[in-house]
Amino acid sequence: MEKLTEHSEISCQKATFLASKLEEKKASDIEQLQLEQHYKICDGCRLFDIQNVFIGNNARYAMQYTNELLSKVKKEALKKLMKLQK
Amino acid sequence: MHAQRELLPETWVDKYSDELYRYTLVRINDTGLAEDIVQETFLSAWRAKENYKAETSEKNWLYAICKNKIIDHFRKQATNIFTGAATEENIYFDEVAHWRDETTPKDWQLNYDLQIETKEFYSVLDLCKKKLPVIQKNVFVMKYFDDMSSDEICKALEITPANYWILIHRGKLHLRRCLEKNWINI
Repeated sequence: MEKLTEHSEISCQKATFLASKLEEKKASDIEQLQLEQHYKICDGCRLFDIQNVFIGNNARYAMQYTNELLSKVKKEALKKLMKLQK
Repeated sequence: MHAQRELLPETWVDKYSDELYRYTLVRINDTGLAEDIVQETFLSAWRAKENYKAETSEKNWLYAICKNKIIDHFRKQATNIFTGAATEENIYFDEVAHWRDETTPKDWQLNYDLQIETKEFYSVLDLCKKKLPVIQKNVFVMKYFDDMSSDEICKALEITPANYWILIHRGKLHLRRCLEKNWINI
């Protein structure tokens, strides 16, 4: 265990990189431990992870917040094109 | 036995074109291309209509075709993949790979469990998404809009996991920072 702790100091660049791997359960046990250790001493990386989860949770609703419509001209063209397929 | 659910291609444009267009547009951010993809979706669906199985609704079937068209497009963009220079991350991290003062994530002072129901968040998100290098944007879309796993994304784009982790890391760095600056305004 001591040995692991000894090697557990990782940089913020590495920690933010590993966060994505851990999220998908693709981090090794050592990487997971390194990340947990890092979060104890680094608010920036903890916030980075929390905020990215937050962004992801909300991003999925993006389509509900657009009200773009396909133009009437394009719709008519599509209808004609569909008729030609027969 | 006849399928309980039948396809009604003559109604597709009126019923589905707007929503398929929006679905595509939030993923592709290019109106002309989004129009083309909607068109291709209907045409492919028409050609494949004999293969339609009534277990899926007509709507879900069209969405699945549309989603595949989008991924095909993403795959084309991922050929000759270039993950970017290693220096791309230097704006965030100093020479010992720790956060620079000005780019250290700040507390946004909000409840991170809440669902944001403001249009403002989504217009800033859209703006920030458009600023990402295109392959990072595509990876972001597949992960967050379509809930695809890293394995699925690597397979769809024909990229290696090593490249995927770099792309998603950089995408997150840029997008988070962009939202902090333009949505939270700090």
